[in-house]
Amino acid sequence: MDSRTSNKVKCELSQVLGPGGTRPVWKHDSKSVYVHIPFCAQRCGYCNFALIADRADLVESFLEALARELQWRLGTEHPPRSIETLFLGGGTPTFLSLAQAERLVTLLRKYFVWDAQAPNHEWSVEANPNDLTSEAVAHWSELGVTRFSLGVQSFRAAKLQLLERTHRALDIQRACDLVRQHGRQLSLDLIFAVGDETLAEWESDLRAAIDCCPQHLSTYQLTYEKGTQFWNRLQRGLLNEADQDHALRLYQRTREMLLADGFEHYEVSNFCRPGFRSRHNCVYWSGRPYWAFGPGAAGYIDGCRYVNHSSTTTYIKRMALGESPVVELDNDGDEMRAREYFVFGMRMLEGVDLQVFADETGQNWECLFGDQLRHDLEIGYFCRNNHRIQLTPTGLYISDTLWPNYLSSS
Amino acid sequence: MSQDKIRNFCIIAHIDHGKSTLADRLLEHTGTVSTREMKNQLLDDLELERERGITIKAKAVTMDYKHRDGQQYELNLIDTPGHVDFHYEVSRSLACCEGALLVVDAFQGIEAQTMANTYAALDQNLQIIPVINKIDLQHHRADEVAEEIVQVLGVEPESILRCSAKTGLGIPELLDAIITRLPPPKGDLSGPPQAMVFDSHYDDYRGVITYVRMTQGEINKGQKIRFLRVGQNHDVLELGHFRPQRVSTNKLSAGQVGYLICNIKSLTEVDTGDTVSIPGDHAAPPLPGYKKPKRMVYCGLYPSDGQEFSELRDSLIKLQINDPSFEFEPESSDALGFGFRCGFLGLLHMEIIQQRLEQEANLDLVQTAPNVTYEILLRSGEVIEIHKPQDVPDQGEIAEFRQPIVRCNFLVPEEYVGTIMKLCQERRGVQAGQEYLGGRMLVTYDLPLAEVIYDLHDKLKSSTRGYGTMDYELIGYQPASLARVDILVNGNRVDALSIICNRDDAERRGRVVAKKLKDEISRHMFEIAVQAAIGGKIVARETVKALRKNVTAKCYGGDISRKKKLWAKQREGKKRMKSVGNVDIPQKAFMAVLDTGDK
Ligand SMILES: Nc1nc2c(ncn2[C@@H]2O[C@H](COP(=O)(O)OP(=O)(O)OP(=O)(O)O)[C@@H](O)[C@H]2O)c(=O)[nH]1
Ligand code: SF4
Ligand SMILES: [Mg+2]
Repeated sequence: MDSRTSNKVKCELSQVLGPGGTRPVWKHDSKSVYVHIPFCAQRCGYCNFALIADRADLVESFLEALARELQWRLGTEHPPRSIETLFLGGGTPTFLSLAQAERLVTLLRKYFVWDAQAPNHEWSVEANPNDLTSEAVAHWSELGVTRFSLGVQSFRAAKLQLLERTHRALDIQRACDLVRQHGRQLSLDLIFAVGDETLAEWESDLRAAIDCCPQHLSTYQLTYEKGTQFWNRLQRGLLNEADQDHALRLYQRTREMLLADGFEHYEVSNFCRPGFRSRHNCVYWSGRPYWAFGPGAAGYIDGCRYVNHSSTTTYIKRMALGESPVVELDNDGDEMRAREYFVFGMRMLEGVDLQVFADETGQNWECLFGDQLRHDLEIGYFCRNNHRIQLTPTGLYISDTLWPNYLSSS
Repeated sequence: MSQDKIRNFCIIAHIDHGKSTLADRLLEHTGTVSTREMKNQLLDDLELERERGITIKAKAVTMDYKHRDGQQYELNLIDTPGHVDFHYEVSRSLACCEGALLVVDAFQGIEAQTMANTYAALDQNLQIIPVINKIDLQHHRADEVAEEIVQVLGVEPESILRCSAKTGLGIPELLDAIITRLPPPKGDLSGPPQAMVFDSHYDDYRGVITYVRMTQGEINKGQKIRFLRVGQNHDVLELGHFRPQRVSTNKLSAGQVGYLICNIKSLTEVDTGDTVSIPGDHAAPPLPGYKKPKRMVYCGLYPSDGQEFSELRDSLIKLQINDPSFEFEPESSDALGFGFRCGFLGLLHMEIIQQRLEQEANLDLVQTAPNVTYEILLRSGEVIEIHKPQDVPDQGEIAEFRQPIVRCNFLVPEEYVGTIMKLCQERRGVQAGQEYLGGRMLVTYDLPLAEVIYDLHDKLKSSTRGYGTMDYELIGYQPASLARVDILVNGNRVDALSIICNRDDAERRGRVVAKKLKDEISRHMFEIAVQAAIGGKIVARETVKALRKNVTAKCYGGDISRKKKLWAKQREGKKRMKSVGNVDIPQKAFMAVLDTGDK
């Protein structure tokens, strides 16, 4: 590294070092709730989420267990807590019958109310396009859902088949129309680099998605997770992982097409129309606390990260016996939390403001990773905008390689 | 105990033929160990012995036995290891005995180590009792095996015993034979004390425990003794027998086997093969002693975290106290920093030491590929020993490059002779003999040690469907056409990756290694060139492409803990790698140079 430049950067960056906030961001009250609904009609070959397939018979006992977890974590005496975002994820929340959905919502209302101070709240529900009949959309909307997040994955029949998804392009379009008719926000999930998907094929998926007029789009490269069928097939050579260069081309093309269409690329995998970021997911990346309930759910409260047991049946059993559902509990200390704050904050393309960093974490970034930061600025993985550090496109593409350096000292 | 009531013997055999199990039965039958305390292979008490199910160190134990003639006898047994790496333990044990139980597996029959050990015992004029073991096995071929023993060892068929160390069948007959067929020790009881030091180990509380075989006179508790070769005097604080725990007595006399404790704080003060006597002019003459075990392979051991250098040194010192057969000296490498060049008796020995360092001392090590010792005659006339490839001087300075040669005995069923000859010829072997032996062929080749040590045993097993066995001993150094192949990573020579191999094969090896390294080194932010060079000339080049995309798609609430842990782990993993220039080379890569490229 050229020492002159680095000193200059050092000197200028040092001026932004604030005195440090008094109350780190993770000590704030949680304004966000995640509830994991661990049911799906069948398990897709690539999926390793906490869920149990084709067990509608377990929904009732799951709801009971959830009631117990809420009571166990939040107590019965406390008045309902005011929150700003609620996310029903899965699994497939729309796997629940309408009556079950209603019971779930009634249960949640005992513990949470929308924060009257906040201008507007966000309530997302993940949905399978096939489940979104007009009654279902009407019912969930009536219950108060503001945003539907559809597990679309693709519009192409062959790719959907490979991914073991049962819906067709038509089903997606119909579901999207319904959501728009009810005036709810629409978000679509897409997967790329599946099999030997070509650039043109992926472009067609992106185009079809844009045509559905969603406010929000998430695009994920297919990953092969241990324990999935896809993983086993990969090991046996029945599936091929996309070549790195090709996957990069698909990702770059995603950015080009969506940016050209007026989307904002605000997080590694997330794009939105201006003003339509997922507020709930932003909580995760900005180091703020959140509650999480259900099997495999992971929460962050008072600076402590916890993860529940990921087996639905064990979760139900534990709750029935009055045992804790928690299998992991980490309390890492302020320094580590500040490091996380930076790393996960950097997934947002607007980056991390170092002044805000100091205020919100009470830590000195210079001590934690000053040298590394200057190094990455110099090489061009990061750029800076006043006090803000952001990923450059090159940095973005290889960003996972950078994070280990920020999560521990040299 | 009068001398004619003492029998000293060791148990020798090919690996896994049941020596330690047979020792169990003898311990049990003589009541030395109660049934309650009994466990399988009781004498294999080192953790690694139990873990691997093999004997590594010879063990001595004293048993009292009341024979059917009504007399009380003292039996001193030494259980020996069967693996070729530890053969020197066998030779040391033989020198302390008058007899040997030669155990032969009733199914496997005679194998290469059976013969090597038998010849060693005959060299020492030991009385041999052949014992066919495992006759409880359903498909045993005891009759054929007996036939083999008669033919190969030239013993009388009637002298062969049969037993099962598993069920205890035949053990009384065996004890009987030990008493009636093995000679008692000789040795003047009244002369000045003289004892052979045949082993020692370090006890955290008592210091050095010296194992001795009395050959003359007697040693008493409290007596002043002298280690003749080392030249040091000590007071005997305690002496006694292993039963198998230490049990103290007041004296040891000619013919007996036992231990001495003398408040000695370091094993370096005790020399295996030394003679114990008394200080002054009336000392007994020193005994011939042992040949020092020869280090066959060397490798570099480096702490993966440079900081742990002194911890590694301390652990090596501690280990060496209990295993003087390996040696080490500090060395440094541009690529790996400060570490040690360590010499071992063989690859198994190397593996064991490394495992002990990692387990007992909790060290994380980078190991370089093992190599043998070479000799180089310089143009200046000087002869130097080369323990590591990077020390090979420029070609111009070398008058002669010599490598160690071993004589290798293969014992195989006849139909595999062709296979063996092919294996050996590929490895530049020279045939030294071929002999028909009890239904099998004994094929003898002189081979470069380097060609034998890495994988010949595995190759032999796989190409003879497990039937072939081998044994080897060093016979000397011979000139050869050798070359050093260097590896360059982004133009920097990585000293710890250099190899020495046959000149004719050097280019091919260079290509194989470069390719292998390419697979081991993960993609970096930039392109990496991996090259092989011989004497400055590049003979192979591979490229590790630059990293293009590495970004996790999903990172929501539940992924955060997982990602955090994964990245922290990667960080740890990176610490363990060695960087050359800016390139991180994983630990495994340093072994990659062993890949010879043949299937
Ligand atoms: N069936 C049967 N198995 C036996 C008998 N004796 C030993 N074994 C088995 O053979 C294997 C090797 O036995 P060990 O006593 O460890 O052999 P060893 O000769 O001491 O082996 P090394 O010390 O490693 O050379 C073990 O699995 C024993 O259980 C026997 O008489 N019958
Ligand atoms: S629908 Fe979604 S959550 Fe359910 S199995 Fe398929 S990918 Fe997994
Ligand atoms: Mg043994």
